[in-house]
Amino acid sequence: MAEIALVEAVQLALARAMEEDETVLVLGEDVGVNGGVFRATDGLLARFGDKRVFDTPLAEALLAGISVGLGAQGFRPVTEFQFMGFFYPAIDQVANHAGRLRNRTRGRLTCPIVLRAPFGGGIHAPEHHSESFEAMFAHIPGIRVVIPSSPARAYGLLLAAIRDPDPVVFLEPKRVYRAPKEEVADDGTAAPLDCCFTLREGNDITLVTWGAMVQETLAAAETLSGQGVEAEVIDVATLKPLDMATILTSVEHTGRCVIIHEAPLSGGFGGEIAARLADRGLVSLTAPVKRVAGFDTVMPLPRLEEHYMPSARRILAAVREILEYA
Amino acid sequence: MTEIASFAIEYRRFLDPDGQAVQPLPAFAQDPADLIPLYRAMVLTRSFDAKAVALQRTGRLGTFASSLGQEAVMAGTGAAMRPEDVLLPSFREQGAQFLRGAAMTDLLLYWGGDERGSDFAGPREDFPICVPVGTHAAHAAGVALAFQLRGEARAAVCVLGDGATSKGEVYEAMNLAGVWRLPVVFVVNNNQWAISVPRERQTAAQTLAQKAIAAGFGGVQVDGNDVIAVRDAVERALEQARSGGGPTLVEAVTYRLSDHTTVDDASRYRDDAEVSARWKDEPILRLRRHLTDAGAWSKEDEERLIAECGEEVEAAAEAYLATPVQPVESMFDWLYAELPGDLAEQRAGLVAEAGLAGGENDG
Amino acid sequence: MTTFNLPDLGEGLQEAEIVTWHVGIGDHVVADQPLLSVETEKAVVEIPSPQSGRIAKLFGEAGEIVKIGAALVEFEAAGQADAGTVVGKVPEAKPAATEAATETELPPAPEPKAGAGRGPKATPAVRALARKLNVNLAVVGATGPGDTTTKADVERAAAALEAAGPLEPLRGVRRAMARNMARSHAEVVPATVTDAADIGDWPKGADVTMRLIRAIVAGCAAEPALNAWYLGLDEGRRLHDKVHLSIAMDTGDGLFVPVLRDVGNRDEADLRSGLEAMKADVRARTVPLEELRGGTITLSNFGMFGGQHAALAVLPPQVAILGAGRVHDRVVPLDGAPAIRRALPISLTFDHRAVMGGEASRFLAALVADLETAE
Repeated sequence: MAEIALVEAVQLALARAMEEDETVLVLGEDVGVNGGVFRATDGLLARFGDKRVFDTPLAEALLAGISVGLGAQGFRPVTEFQFMGFFYPAIDQVANHAGRLRNRTRGRLTCPIVLRAPFGGGIHAPEHHSESFEAMFAHIPGIRVVIPSSPARAYGLLLAAIRDPDPVVFLEPKRVYRAPKEEVADDGTAAPLDCCFTLREGNDITLVTWGAMVQETLAAAETLSGQGVEAEVIDVATLKPLDMATILTSVEHTGRCVIIHEAPLSGGFGGEIAARLADRGLVSLTAPVKRVAGFDTVMPLPRLEEHYMPSARRILAAVREILEYA
Repeated sequence: MTEIASFAIEYRRFLDPDGQAVQPLPAFAQDPADLIPLYRAMVLTRSFDAKAVALQRTGRLGTFASSLGQEAVMAGTGAAMRPEDVLLPSFREQGAQFLRGAAMTDLLLYWGGDERGSDFAGPREDFPICVPVGTHAAHAAGVALAFQLRGEARAAVCVLGDGATSKGEVYEAMNLAGVWRLPVVFVVNNNQWAISVPRERQTAAQTLAQKAIAAGFGGVQVDGNDVIAVRDAVERALEQARSGGGPTLVEAVTYRLSDHTTVDDASRYRDDAEVSARWKDEPILRLRRHLTDAGAWSKEDEERLIAECGEEVEAAAEAYLATPVQPVESMFDWLYAELPGDLAEQRAGLVAEAGLAGGENDG
Repeated sequence: MTTFNLPDLGEGLQEAEIVTWHVGIGDHVVADQPLLSVETEKAVVEIPSPQSGRIAKLFGEAGEIVKIGAALVEFEAAGQADAGTVVGKVPEAKPAATEAATETELPPAPEPKAGAGRGPKATPAVRALARKLNVNLAVVGATGPGDTTTKADVERAAAALEAAGPLEPLRGVRRAMARNMARSHAEVVPATVTDAADIGDWPKGADVTMRLIRAIVAGCAAEPALNAWYLGLDEGRRLHDKVHLSIAMDTGDGLFVPVLRDVGNRDEADLRSGLEAMKADVRARTVPLEELRGGTITLSNFGMFGGQHAALAVLPPQVAILGAGRVHDRVVPLDGAPAIRRALPISLTFDHRAVMGGEASRFLAALVADLETAE
């Protein structure tokens, strides 16, 4: 089995889903002939034709809106938004319709759609191409928010998202689109939604994260291990609905938790996890819950980009602070 | 300088305000007896609206949007559609919804604050009322695309107001419909008012129909108070759509004789005298005159119809008022196909709080 | 308020039957808007509104006969309330507390645990550990960041306490002493001045306690400031003209401080018998509560056991305590030559909030002078 990167895993999953289910469609700007600006949909038009893969005009709100219409009619559109920074016009459709159609009609109409977008920084892109606002989506009722962190999980989670009968916002961390690579079996096996993945076990501290930050966190965990501190690393993967049980169980035996996300600190999804820890895990905690996150600033342009994003070094500093509460 | 594009917008009317035909009537209107269902539909709508308003005034219905004066737009559109077409209403299209099989009780439940009102007994694929203005235009394009992909001879009908045509998303939907030749008809109920903003402050375009031109397809303006003109235009547009000819925009020019909603007070921003003047153009009076003049409608017919509509509306109101409130936990039961874990906990908390034991979801 | 009556419908009609109303109470209507349909002989006729206005009243129901000229509709006077919204209803008055708050009986709020939110800083897990190991966080030295108590701190304290023997909870008199001393420490600003009285001229068999009592009276006479109560909250003091002497008595059970009343106006025999009675009561633990109250100055004759000088604890609201140490011989200069003389060490601890140094010294001087007289 060849090793593949995350974006290739996305493409594999799309192809597999389209092969299995003829109601699966792919729409978006430049997804057809161009194969997507990140090549996530490469080859799909040639393989499945122009009644399954569509290059749409430049209109993000429209993209989300026609996905709702198609979903209500029994199709399963997988719609690409070129960058999270351009997703915002579509939030109206997600908040006002996608997450509500089933509820509004008491199940008469439903919305089995996937809206996917590359997100996050680290590719030295111009302004607006490095956004992380997953927390905005996590606040919308009736949808799922899924963030893969590895090629294998991207493949499995995207398949699960496409097969799921409810709307899924699927955010792909573009910084890790092409590396690291790993073996992914193209066997149509979905990964479970609504659950965290424990990537590394350890008894001394729980590190909770998602997206590209998983790499930084694992690197920090390695360094810590060399210093005799074993970290448990949890990839949240599905932010909404949140599998808090896995995180709580971990904190019960480590007593310490650091949450890492690239998105800005205030109002970020780490706050939700910290609040739930305070609610359900307080008596297990021997130290404060820390968040290592992006600053509450606009994502700086590429020259300063590295200073914005949480790094293994910043994660280690936070961990050290916490370990002092021995 | 060479002119490379120009356009023309037609205005169509068959009956003038006195009910007189100003041009040969289309086939469906030639026998006045065939128009009686349309008349009935309009009278029923007005009767329903009056009842709904009365319920709101007595605290038994929430905010309600009456379609007073616009009944022909709704009846004409609803009558032109086939059962297999799909209607995507904004929030003033009850007349069309009734013609298509939605129950009056459904609409009362919706405006009364009960989601079950959008679970129409029929028609099952029509979209529910859409409150965020114009956001359903994209849904209509998506539905039309579905028909196109499956090769079905069906069309989507999106009804919007004059205000909605200012929304970018509406243009986005029209633009896609035009370039992909989607089987969708956009019916613009131009009732001259977007709450307090009059039509001439909404856009500088001379007509709303011509917004279709920018999207690459045809637009036509009709007298929205002439149900024959409305039905005719929508029917043609639907035929064109179903046969792969792409979309049309039908602008029905009418007048909002009521307030925007039951809580609005239009006298704050418009002249009563202006409204008074429009009553003589109203659609029900017009068709009644036409039918009466043709000897197809008698006083007894009128009385009987009024009585029947009154009974139907009364029965629907009673059924609505007798419908018990949904169990509190129903706010959870339709969020996802299967309720996720942390939400199940919240649901249990609500059930406990409401003092219910268990809370069986009977779906 | 204007009323609209059924107009003449022509056809020579005197009356008409209401078929249906098109408007309702509260509706805003405009001129020419159909208000209702009535039946005439020939047709069903819509009656238009004569004016614009809001409907206040409708006369007659569907099916009723109305005479020409009879009232049909009453319009409201101009000017009606603005709902101030286009949807729903915005409450005018402050929304009433939701039912749940008034109907549900809230369970009584539990007493907040002592120290919660104040006192030692520790995370919940550390607190839970302290509870489990029976360690009072207040006695644990905190070494964590920001003075938080860490798990290791708690474990260390637990080990130390293990070694120290089981916790013996204070009860009764010992507990009262602990609390009173803590209170004293928290309030009083103590200062101590010491001296030693040369009692070499005392006759044999002199009663030290009686002499001390007399000397204290002398001191209070010289400096009444030492025989007072200081009330910290009121920032005021009450001088007493009588001296009610609290006498510290150690027993097996703890420290008792009964009060010998008005010692300045009683003779020695009376004082002696009073003192004996008090000692007996204390031993038997039958001291009535009133006898433990009201002292204005305290004597602690600790010298009976050992020790010379001491800085003792002032018992608020008193402002002074006199400590008498062990009588002993010392070498002092006398008439230019060393001599061995008996000395009674005296320590006066006073509350500097209420007593000046000079006052204390003068009191002490008077007291010592009285002690140094032979009789």
